[in-house]
Amino acid sequence: MRRVVGSNYATSHAVMRARVEVIAAYPITPQTQMVEHIAKFINDGIMDCEYINVESEHSAISAVIASQAAGVRSFTSTASQGLALMHELLFSAGGLRLPIVMGVVNRSVGSTGGIWVEYNDSMPQRDCGWLQMYVETNQEVHDMILQAYKIAEDKRVLLPIMICSDGFILSHTVEPVELAEQEEVDGFLPKYEARHSYLDPKDPIASGIVTPREYRQEFAYQIHRAMLEAKDVIGEVNRDFADKFGRDHSGLIETEFVEDAEVILLTLGTVTSTARGVVRELRKKGKKAGLVKVRAFRPYPAERIAEVCKDARAVGVYDRSVSFGVGGPHYLEVRNALFDSDVPVIDFIGGLGGRDVAEADVRSMYDVLLEAAKTGKAKRNIEWVNTRGVVLG
Amino acid sequence: MKEIILHGRGGQGAVLAAQALASAAVFEDKYAMAFPHFGAERRGAPVAAFARIAEGRILTKAHIYKPDYVIVLDPWLAGLVDVAKGMEGHEGTSGGVPMGSVKTDICQGLNKKGAAVLNTARPPDEVRLSLEVCVGTVDATTIALETLGHPATNSCMLGAFAKTTEEVSIGSIEKGIMDVFGERLGEGIAERNVKAAKLGFERTEVGMCSGGREFPAQKKWLPDVDELPPGCAIRSQDTEYGKLGPGSTVQNETGSWRTFHPIVDDEKCTYCMLCWFHCPDGCIGRVPDKESVSVDYFYCKGCGICSEVCPVDAITMVREVEG
Ligand code: SF4
Ligand code: SF4
Repeated sequence: MRRVVGSNYATSHAVMRARVEVIAAYPITPQTQMVEHIAKFINDGIMDCEYINVESEHSAISAVIASQAAGVRSFTSTASQGLALMHELLFSAGGLRLPIVMGVVNRSVGSTGGIWVEYNDSMPQRDCGWLQMYVETNQEVHDMILQAYKIAEDKRVLLPIMICSDGFILSHTVEPVELAEQEEVDGFLPKYEARHSYLDPKDPIASGIVTPREYRQEFAYQIHRAMLEAKDVIGEVNRDFADKFGRDHSGLIETEFVEDAEVILLTLGTVTSTARGVVRELRKKGKKAGLVKVRAFRPYPAERIAEVCKDARAVGVYDRSVSFGVGGPHYLEVRNALFDSDVPVIDFIGGLGGRDVAEADVRSMYDVLLEAAKTGKAKRNIEWVNTRGVVLG
Repeated sequence: MKEIILHGRGGQGAVLAAQALASAAVFEDKYAMAFPHFGAERRGAPVAAFARIAEGRILTKAHIYKPDYVIVLDPWLAGLVDVAKGMEGHEGTSGGVPMGSVKTDICQGLNKKGAAVLNTARPPDEVRLSLEVCVGTVDATTIALETLGHPATNSCMLGAFAKTTEEVSIGSIEKGIMDVFGERLGEGIAERNVKAAKLGFERTEVGMCSGGREFPAQKKWLPDVDELPPGCAIRSQDTEYGKLGPGSTVQNETGSWRTFHPIVDDEKCTYCMLCWFHCPDGCIGRVPDKESVSVDYFYCKGCGICSEVCPVDAITMVREVEG
């Protein structure tokens, strides 16, 4: 069914269709509607699910860790400060290898306070053992919630996953979304069967215990390996989804005009859409500009990025977060991916605290890249876009 | 550089002793370091502490694998965990080895020119270890009970160490104890510990032990990355390494932790079950036909709470003797 909805609704609908049986979430702007929609589905009797009311995000994630450990497909969602409050439990979910799905509606973490999009809530969580995927449209968030369960529950992965969507730009913007029917989803996503870490009084396990030094390192290696395997799984699940639903989100990354591109900009989230327009416009003017939409941040598709960027003469990275004194977190990933290339790699930090990233801003990024491609070197590696008192390029 | 491992039980003060030993060495213008096992410690459970002494700065921050000296604060410990092997042995369990029987090798890894300093009432020539090495022996538990009133043998064993190894003088040990124990426990207690150290020094007998004792190899579950279950979720199972997962703590013979054990006088016992209620390890059982209680000595750790709470003084705490 095609309807005009915001991403919070699209997410909630997908959660219902995934036959999630336990939800625990605490409302926080801009995620609040998600909590409300799901509560309404349950109240209306169209969703058979246990809704656990909690007093904080810390309790929300604790509750879904427990329910998922009891072998039940679970969901939670949050944003900003709420995700920060979940932080210590994120390690538990990852470490216990529980395929929980979380909808993160990105919002800056204060201070300074704000309710608008920035990735300084989710990106600092990159080392907790969670997969992280960033989406561009409300359709994509809907589709990725469905795919997320299939990716996370794959026995090669068994890790929790965050589907990150830009606060307000997606959550509070309505767009047409093809909302999946139950039979379609049932044909794609099988019932969850816990294979491990399954709390069953008849067959007890010791889980989440203190791990002496003799075990912890092998245990960490397993998570690392699962994260690497997830790269294949994300691609496979995408193809399976595309076959069944006719919508292909192209897995780890999606590219536009990269084949002969001299300059390539790597984006995450909704800025991608704006950049698509700019890159098409540049192509019309004969500029060899390309675009890569990076969908997975954990695991980071370093090999794919290296492959796609191998013939480029300048590579730009869009960052909606800062690792102070260093640069953007995304930039660091790209530098790592391109470690043996001598192509200039330039970070574009912008859109912090929900500041708009307009076509002019994206154009200015491409201008800097085209200049660097000409000279063969970057004037500066870290650029701040549309920042008063800071000159770009 | 000399490396020393101290083996004790939670509460015997192995860590404090290691620090006092380091302090003693520094009073002699040497360089020294002391560190604990970095583990969760419980009163009575096997613990280890480490010290290094050298003429100049010590660079290594790694564990000690080949000690020059081992100091064993507890008379039973050598029989229950692999004290000389140190680190790994500490995390093992006794696997039901009867208390006091020496089954593991405290000499493993021990530098042959080194020495073992043992808390035992036996003279050196009655001690048998896997290697023929220099040993210093002293009945430190008796000295600790005499001077301190409880079996914290750490200070006494430092005196024994000074006598056996001559690495530091007893005078420096006294200063080290005043420095470290004084800071932590107050001057009065530090002074009593200095007295225990002096008595330890005086009463230590140094000699050679006999060697050739055999020890069974201990197997430890060390799964590789493919064998370890995801999420470390371990099902209850019996393996060649003992039990794993839920229920595996039944193997923990906490009874080996005792210095004293409770003896119940059936005549005095009124069957009020107050001791049953208070025992932290659930070691008290009912004996209905005698209208009295029994103690499970496999797990009873000798804390003495039952004896404290018994309203009719039917429980006496009796000192363990070396088997
Ligand atoms: S001494 Fe008494 S109270 Fe303590 S563990 Fe033994 S039986 Fe229980
Ligand atoms: S507390 Fe004393 S009297 Fe009461 S049951 Fe125990 S031993 Fe007997």
